[in-house]
This record gives sequence, structure tokens and C-alpha cells, in this order.
Amino acid sequence: MPNRLELSGITKQFPGVLANDHVSFAVKPGEIHALLGENGAGKSTLVKMIYGIMQPDGGEIRWNGEPVVVPNPKAARRLGIGMVFQHFSLFEALTVLENIALGMDAKIPSRELEARIREVMQTYGLLLDPHRTVATLSVGERQRIEIVRALLLNPKLLIMDEPTSVLTPQEVDQLFTVLRQLASEGCSILYISHKLHEIKALCDTATILRGGKLVDTCDPKAETSRSMAEKMIGTGLKDIIKPEGRRFGEPKLVVNGLTTRKTGDFDVPVADVSFTVRSGEILGIAGVAGNGQNALLDALSGELKGEEREAISIDGRAIGLMDTTERRRHGLCAVPEERNGHAAVGDFSLSDNSVLTARDRLGMVVLGLINSGAAKTYTGKVIADFAVKALGPAATAGSLSGGNLQKYIMGREILQKPTVLVVSQPTWGVDAGAAAAIHQALVDLATAGSAIVVISQDLDELRALSDTLAVINMGRLSASRPIGDFSVEEIGLLMGGVHGEEAA
Amino acid sequence: MMQFRLEKRREPSRFMLYATPVAAVALTMIIGAVIFSVIGYDGIGAVREIFLTPLTNSFKWQDLGVKAAPLIIIGVGLSIAYRANVWNIGAEGQYIMGGLAATWVALASHGAGGWWTLPAMMLAGMAGGAAYGAIPALLKTRLNVNEILTSLMLTYASVQLIYYLVRAPWKDPMGMGFPQTRRFASEALLPNIFPGTIVHAGVPIAIIVALIAWFIMSRSVFGYQMRVVGAAPHAARYGGFSENKTIWLAMLVSGGLAGLAGMLEVAGPFQRMVPGFPTNYGFTAIIVAFLGRLNPLGVIFAGIVMAITFVGGEVAQTTIGLSNSATGVFQAMMLFFLLAGDILVRYRLKRVVPQVEAGA
Ligand SMILES: Nc1ncnc2c1ncn2[C@@H]1O[C@H](COP(=O)(O)OP(=O)(O)OP(=O)(O)O)[C@@H](O)[C@H]1O
Ligand SMILES: [Mg+2]
Repeated sequence: MPNRLELSGITKQFPGVLANDHVSFAVKPGEIHALLGENGAGKSTLVKMIYGIMQPDGGEIRWNGEPVVVPNPKAARRLGIGMVFQHFSLFEALTVLENIALGMDAKIPSRELEARIREVMQTYGLLLDPHRTVATLSVGERQRIEIVRALLLNPKLLIMDEPTSVLTPQEVDQLFTVLRQLASEGCSILYISHKLHEIKALCDTATILRGGKLVDTCDPKAETSRSMAEKMIGTGLKDIIKPEGRRFGEPKLVVNGLTTRKTGDFDVPVADVSFTVRSGEILGIAGVAGNGQNALLDALSGELKGEEREAISIDGRAIGLMDTTERRRHGLCAVPEERNGHAAVGDFSLSDNSVLTARDRLGMVVLGLINSGAAKTYTGKVIADFAVKALGPAATAGSLSGGNLQKYIMGREILQKPTVLVVSQPTWGVDAGAAAAIHQALVDLATAGSAIVVISQDLDELRALSDTLAVINMGRLSASRPIGDFSVEEIGLLMGGVHGEEAA
Repeated sequence: MMQFRLEKRREPSRFMLYATPVAAVALTMIIGAVIFSVIGYDGIGAVREIFLTPLTNSFKWQDLGVKAAPLIIIGVGLSIAYRANVWNIGAEGQYIMGGLAATWVALASHGAGGWWTLPAMMLAGMAGGAAYGAIPALLKTRLNVNEILTSLMLTYASVQLIYYLVRAPWKDPMGMGFPQTRRFASEALLPNIFPGTIVHAGVPIAIIVALIAWFIMSRSVFGYQMRVVGAAPHAARYGGFSENKTIWLAMLVSGGLAGLAGMLEVAGPFQRMVPGFPTNYGFTAIIVAFLGRLNPLGVIFAGIVMAITFVGGEVAQTTIGLSNSATGVFQAMMLFFLLAGDILVRYRLKRVVPQVEAGA
């Protein structure tokens, strides 16, 4: 049987970057094939060319043995190639059915379409009510729409670009069940992820890219996460160095009875949240996405206007009524989970993005004028210290690969040496090497005396990083306890909603 | 068969950013010549009279300066507001209110004026325009009413206000029944900067305003605020910039500059308030702002280009009998081609190598 997909010598040049350099590999029918590589290695670029979003500058794509040109995604779908993107293109105000109908190339009567959708959902156990409005769905459910949409076309190759970075562990398990079933029916899957334990659990083969070149092919089941990470980076992976026997100092951040109002129909506010973080301490906040993490971050950063002065204090000073800028001046920096359009402005240069949050703490403003030299110098330092792959401080934020933008944003906040740093999902979409570097930078910041809050749903990350842990569920935060007191099962149960005090 | 498709650029193209306005003007000239030839005019002649005569005939240069000045001042204000995604469409109304406020100062101080009259009129003009711009800002920030609608509708109200004022309370008693105010006293009239021409002090003021605005937009926190709120409102909030405050600033600045232009017009070319004071500068300046790429320096050039079409339109009217509305056709075409060409700033044309398309 011919290979389902065969790439030979695929090359793509962007101004200043060779994103793919003569990449050749093959995917067999029914194979689950992983595409691995550091941030900016060229993974997304490669699959975009297979799906017809971009055109290669050189090389050949063979489909079932025949050379093909894929001029656009519609042609790709006609060949039997489906793709699920990390960012969904769904209309929130429409129903699942309407969204799918809008995305179809051929017009099918809605009754017939609904019957086919139900059939696909039945076959693959993708449970979803076709008449629900998208706005009421969780991220995992939204992704199911995209998968159903792709499956309706009976694809012979399904491409998934970082599908699990926004999913809860349970949703990941469900997704893998579907993917395995698809593969058993002969559909090939090309799977991109930075979560190497998932690759080990799911994939048959892994192709590793570095700097746009194919550097290795391996069997993930025969490797460890660490050995795959090292193949990606090309050198050894550093462990987090956490000085033993650290002592925590004075309380830095004290939150007392913080409550937020519901702002939109679908966001979860926080109610009566209290915790203390001391100098040198990293507090992890575990929880399944959508349980009030966003409200908590916005309330701490000051984006959500506070109503009680005493609800938040830093170094004993009540800051509950201050706005974002004043809070930053008093040493509280925050990083929201959404990078594009929230933590950074895609159309602005990195230098201008530094002005966004660092202008006051680092004296980039004199008499109302921006000192662009200072912004540029600082940005250069962030790029160098955090190994951000970018053409320089003048590159726009939107031109960076997802992981590199995250490294820049984390660097921009950490190098301001905040007294208190609150970060949400610090390593989403970041490769293993960069994740280790970000973790180390957070630990170093804590060692230097700052108090840090890490909001994450990645338990491995929290266990490696935190000193104390609390769990957020439905907008309520459990009491924090030293990380060593928790067993994995216990954290899992708490995330599911059984609070310590209620269970007792 | 060769196929082309659009591919998104990672970075907006700098070259295209500046090339598309030039191309838009060139295309307007070409297509304009064709259209007017087809409908039976001397198309080439029309384009020559409208776009070239004002430049080659040195007698027309002073007209260009006088027409460009208000367009540039209003266009600069609009370019600042549009950067922040605040769509002030009512600059015409703010221009009128600025003119009326300045007229009030001129009439009230008539016979008792001095060196301070003109500065006082300028302040009044800016205050009048800004106050009129404040109404849409208030409605938008308090009640979330769309500023496009309110600012536009307020324009029509301001036109009626002129009609009322020049017919009743401000009517010139010696004006033989004409609905207009008396001619301003000499302290309330703009000095001419080149004796023997009609070039008044508003022309250098326009250039100075544009230069100051350019400096502020590119270097100051205020300019940064306008840009970031327009580009990414959510990120702006994260960076500590309030959206409501930005709407207020944008409306006050763009309204104030339109009001300044109104003062310069009434104290310059008009010399009194007349019902014909609204000359659509406030609307044309919208095209100027976009043609100038929402950049105050670009607005200077765009203002001159637009002034050329006005002056040239008048020339063509007398020399080849082209109707005055031809000017509007050319101006609209320019905006159309500019906006259409804008896609090339963010996308590039990529050739798809022709081969077998669907092998399976
Ligand atoms: N349209 C483009 N124009 C210019 N450069 C680009 C473009 N798209 C990607 N790049 C660059 O090409 C390289 C590869 O980017 P790509 O998005 O494929 O990386 P990736 O492997 O998917 O990374 P990540 O894991 O961070 O998502 C990066 O250096 C990126 O900055
Ligand atoms: Mg990618």
C-alpha cells in the first residue's frame, strides 16, 4: 500500500528565516504520527503547507503515491485532509449545527446534515447537542465541533496543531480515544504537541524538527519524555534547581475575602477567596480551566475594578482599589493566559510591547514622552536572557511563533523584578527546553525574595514548581497547604470539586 | 493556467503602506480619464486640469495652501481619533461650532478688540469644537451609543444653528437683509503672511499642528495610548489604559482641531459668518486622514492632494465645462482604490505552481 502522505524536500523561506529546510518524511495509512520540535522549529508552517494555507517554495507532496499541489484548504479537504487548529473559528452566537453548516464546502439540507452529524457523534462518542449555542460550550466541547466538522468529510489524514494545550486531563483522554478509533479505521493522524507524555501515550512514530530541518525520527514508545526533549533541543535538558531548605519570609501578598462580580454570561466569578503568599514562596493554584481562574487573575492585576480596599494587600499596603498601573508601581505584575491581544499586541514591535507593562517600573517615560532607547535596550535584554527567537526588538509580536512570544512575555515581567508575580498558564505551548527555562526563572525570582502565584491546570508543572498548593473550583479556592501534603489523587479529586472541608 | 492567491504576511509591508496611496492616486487618474472619455468628455483633459494645472500654474499655489490648511488641521485630528478606533464622522459639525464660537468672540469684542482678540477666538474655536465632540463621547461612554451616528447627526443640528444665528440674533443690521453677520473688525481677521496673496496665517499653523501631532503620536504616552487602544483594546486594559478615557481624549482632540479649523476659516477667507460656511471640509478630511495613512505627516501630503482636486475641479469647470461633481467622483475613487489596495499591505500575492490538482 502506498504511503498516505509523503513529503520530499519541502522548503519554505520567510524573510530572514528558513522555516522548513528540505523536510522529507512519510505517514502510513492508519498511523498516528507526531511532529515534534522546539518553538519556531517550523511545525505549524509545515502542516499549513500540507493543508494548503501556504505554498512551499520547493519540494513535493505525494498523496497516496501521486504528486499533488494543494492550492487552498478547500482542495485539501477534497483530497481528504482535515485540520483542527488550536484557535477555533466559531461564531459564538450560533448553534453547533449552524456553525458546522457554515463551514461546509457543499450545501447540504440542514435535516440531512444534522442526521450525519449525529451519526458521526454516535460513532466516535463525541457527545454534543447540535442545537446548543456555541457560547455556552467549554473549550473542549468547542474543539469537538471542529473535530466533527473535520470528520464529516471522512478524512484520510487528520492534522492537529497543539490540540490539547487548552483541554482538561479528562478531555484529553476522550480525545485520545477518538483518535485511536480513527486510526484503527485507517485514517492517518499528524499530531503536533509539546506535551511529550501525551506523545508517548498516543503516537506510533515521531518526526523531530530543529531549526526547520528534520533531525531525527523515533518510536515514542521506546523513548522517555526526557530523551525526546533532548533530541529536540540537541543538548541535555536542565533540571530545575530549587535551593533546598528555603525559608519563607514576611507575607508579601495577602488576599482576604476577594469576591468579583459576574461580568459576562459565561465567565465564572470568584467568591470569598483568601490566601497569603510569603516572600520566597511559590503558590500553585490548580484547577480545571473555566473555574474562575480568569476572574482571579484580572482581579489581582487590577483589570477588574476592585471594590474593597482591604481585599488585596502587598507588603501590608491595601491596594484593592488601585488600577493596573498603580498596582504595577507597587510591585504587582501579572501575566494573563491569552498571549495575543491580551498580554501582547500582535501588530506592535516587541519594543512597543515592553512599553505596555514596563514603562513605569523601568522609567521608560519622562515627562509624558517615551524613551524608546530604554525600551529597546530592555527588550534586547529580554530577548537575550530568555533565548527568544526573534529578528530583534523591532520584530512585531505577531511574527513570533507561539512559544517564543510566551517566552518574551514571561521575560518582560520577570526581569522587572516584581515583588509579587501572578502568572496564568506560564508554559502553554512552550517547548520542553523553554518550559524548563521559564520554570527556573520563576524559581530564581522567588529565591531572590518575590512572592509568586502560578495558576495552571498542568499538575506536573505545579508539582515541580510550587511550594504550596490550593485548588480552585467553581470560583472558590481551597485552603493552601504545602505541596508535599498532597497526593496526585487528592489534587485530581479537588479539581473535580470535592473540597476538603466539604468532604470531611 | 497560472493561479494566484493571497497569503497573509507575517509583518505588514512597509513598502506597500506607502506605495498604495501613490498607486491609488495614479489609478484614479487613469480610470478617471477612461470614465470621462466614455461618457463623452475630454477625459485626458479633465485629468490634466484637475491634477496637473493646479501644480503647474503658480497662480494657483496660493489657492492650494488656503484649501489644504483646514483639511490638514481637521485630518490630523481625525487621524488621531481613528487610530484609537474612535469613529468621529462629525468633524463638519465640530468645525461649524468652532467657527460659531469664534464668531461670537469677534462680534462681542467688536470695537473693543486688541492683540488678544485672535488668540481668544482660537481658544473659543477649539473649545467650541471640543465641546461639540464631547456630546458623542458622553453618549458613548455613558450609554454606549455609537459615536458614528451621534457625531454625524449633530452635524445637521449645527448647520441649522448657523441658519438661525445669521438670520436673527447675529444678523448684520447694515447688511441690506442678507442673512450674514457683519464683517469682523480688523483685529479679528487673520493677517496675510505674503502681502498681495490670499495666504493667511492658517497655512503655517496647519503645518505646525501636523508636526506637533506627529511628534506626540510617535513619541508620547498619549500617542501610545491612542494606538494601543485601537490595535488591541484588551491589551490596552492590561497595560493600564482606560478605554473610556481614550474615547474622551480622542473626541476632544479631534473636535478641538476641527473647531480650530473653523475659527481659521471664519477669520480668514470668510471674514464673517454666512450660511455658506459649511463647505464639507469636515467630511473631505475623512478621506484625507485615510489617504495620509492616519499619520500626521502623511496627512500634510494628503491634504495637498485633496486641495489639488478642489482647485483643479474649479479650473476644469471653467476651461472644459466639467461639472463640479466631477471633483467628488475623483475624490471618492481615490478613497476606493486606497481601501482596496490596502489588502496588499497585509497580504502578498503568491503564485501557485500549476500541476495536477486532485490526484486522488
Ligand atoms: N508568515 C510568516 N512570515 C515570516 N516568518 C514566519 C511566518 N510564519 C512563521 N514564521 C517564522 O518561521 C519559523 C517557524 O514558525 P512556526 O510557527 O512554524 O513554528 P512552530 O514550530 O509551529 O513553533 P511553536 O511550537 O512555537 O508553535 C519561526 O521562526 C517564525 O517566526
Ligand atoms: Mg506552532
